[in-house]
Amino acid sequence: MGNIIEKGHKQRLLPKHLAKVVALLLILLIVSILMSLAFGSRTIGLEGLIDGLFHPSVEGHEASVVRQRIARTIFGLICGAALGVSGALMQSVTRNPIADPSILGVNTGASLFVVCGIAFLSIQSPSGYIWLAIIGAMLTAVFVFGIGSMGASGATPLKLILAGAATTAILSSLVTAILIPRTNVMDQFRFWQVGSVGAANWDSVHIFIPFFIVGLLIAIIVAPGLNALALGDEVATGLGVRTGVIRMLAAFAGVLLCGAATALAGPIGFIGLLATHLVRLVVGPDVRFLIPLAALAGAIILLISDVCGRFLGSPGELEVGILTAFIGAPILILITMKAKMRTI
Amino acid sequence: MTTHTFETKNIQSGYDNKTILNDVNLSIPSNQISIIIGANGCGKSTLLKTMARLIKPTGGDVLLDGKSIHKMAPKQLAKVLGLLPQSPIVPEGITVADLVGRGRFPHQSVMKGWSKKDYEAVAEALEMMNITEFADRNIDELSGGQRQRVWIAMALAQQTDILFLDEPTTYLDITYQVEILDLLTDLNKKYGTTIVMVLHDINLSARYADYLFTVKNGQLIAEGAPTEIITADLIKETFQLDCQVINDPVSNTPLIVPIGRHHA
Repeated sequence: MGNIIEKGHKQRLLPKHLAKVVALLLILLIVSILMSLAFGSRTIGLEGLIDGLFHPSVEGHEASVVRQRIARTIFGLICGAALGVSGALMQSVTRNPIADPSILGVNTGASLFVVCGIAFLSIQSPSGYIWLAIIGAMLTAVFVFGIGSMGASGATPLKLILAGAATTAILSSLVTAILIPRTNVMDQFRFWQVGSVGAANWDSVHIFIPFFIVGLLIAIIVAPGLNALALGDEVATGLGVRTGVIRMLAAFAGVLLCGAATALAGPIGFIGLLATHLVRLVVGPDVRFLIPLAALAGAIILLISDVCGRFLGSPGELEVGILTAFIGAPILILITMKAKMRTI
Repeated sequence: MTTHTFETKNIQSGYDNKTILNDVNLSIPSNQISIIIGANGCGKSTLLKTMARLIKPTGGDVLLDGKSIHKMAPKQLAKVLGLLPQSPIVPEGITVADLVGRGRFPHQSVMKGWSKKDYEAVAEALEMMNITEFADRNIDELSGGQRQRVWIAMALAQQTDILFLDEPTTYLDITYQVEILDLLTDLNKKYGTTIVMVLHDINLSARYADYLFTVKNGQLIAEGAPTEIITADLIKETFQLDCQVINDPVSNTPLIVPIGRHHA
């Protein structure tokens, strides 16, 4: 018996290659942080990096460039992690492999509210639009799931994609309608809209952190309940899960995280989808591991996309939202094809 | 061996606005195997779901040890009352150990993760269902009979005194049906678990049940030990089927032999 318990112990604690995966992700994260600090319109060598990070007394130009990139890098890290966790939560809540803030139209809903805030309420600061973006994101999420769940078969992946696409089309035309007659709003909005971490500063980091912590804590608390929900509502009820409460909390945290990220960085798509899928492929479907690992993977994807954007857009920059869409869209197609094959 | 009283008091239940069960009163015998039989659409599944708190009754109440199950904390209730529904969902890529381990949910909290007791319960459930060797395997790779053993192991890991199962042998061929029912009997004998299930096969029900409930049109029309209640008349009334009842030579329980139109 002792032997079996020992074996069961390991099986539960180490889904397949957990230790290796964590180590690999941490190394990648450190590498991408260093890349984000070193590369850009001016590339900094190792010495400059070390001076900028660890020797506050060194004044040189290189060191100060590195210091300027610290806030942007930390912001990118939190933003990517938030989007990764948000994707993992939304996929678990909907039991749907394609759930992601950008595909479900949640980002566009946040955009519409931000535009309205800029145009009609003259809101100028990120701390003002963060709440608008979150409310917009929540209303859109409710709307899209409502439409996608109509009919006998419930919220199937295909119906959700369609509902998300239709909603995105309607909401973005509204955004355009509000913007076109207002050139001043257009200028303020244009930069925000593509999805970029380039403008982030310490203020953005400070505004984001409380939302990130609340969202992540809720995610960790609901993870075991989401594991039970994955087996179906009836099994979950039998296990003593308050299915409605868990689902609502998880959806709330998911929308909170992506709404906050969208408010501060603009709509950055596909990170939640990519991060969650990659992680699930390697460690399996246990949500308790999926959430922290999707956070790591999301941060890495965003930072690397941001760094790539600095090269590809040279001498300027290509916004990170454009890059993640380029990488994410083909992967979405692959996943949808696979999901369709399974149902057939 | 823990004994419990489990009763329904005048329950009315159904879906949406359609009442299916009307005024059902029953008491589940503790530490025994009870099987609910009845024709398709008679309400037997609704009865099981209402007792297992998947459906909230529109009238009456379901009482565990005298207390309404709808007034108990879900997690506390889940330590006493387990449930295996008819078609649970298998998450893509899940391993046997992971799935069985999820049965420990009501015994855990966010603060204290996996305890030694949790690991022991999972190991014991795997052992009892003879699936320890599959623990690391993906569920997708298993046969229908093996999968059903995994699901029962998940319910076992929950370590409840009472276990509800909705047609646990559906879609399985006869060998696996007998295997599953034998395993559930083992469980009942070893731990005194009160088992309540819906089954389609009358003869297997008569063989494996200590106590039978017969349902027709949302009402209980007979209950008791199979040898006492199964008669050709009861089967005719319940299923609209003419039959002869003979003695099952293997188990000395009633065996029904259907008649049909071409053989008399």
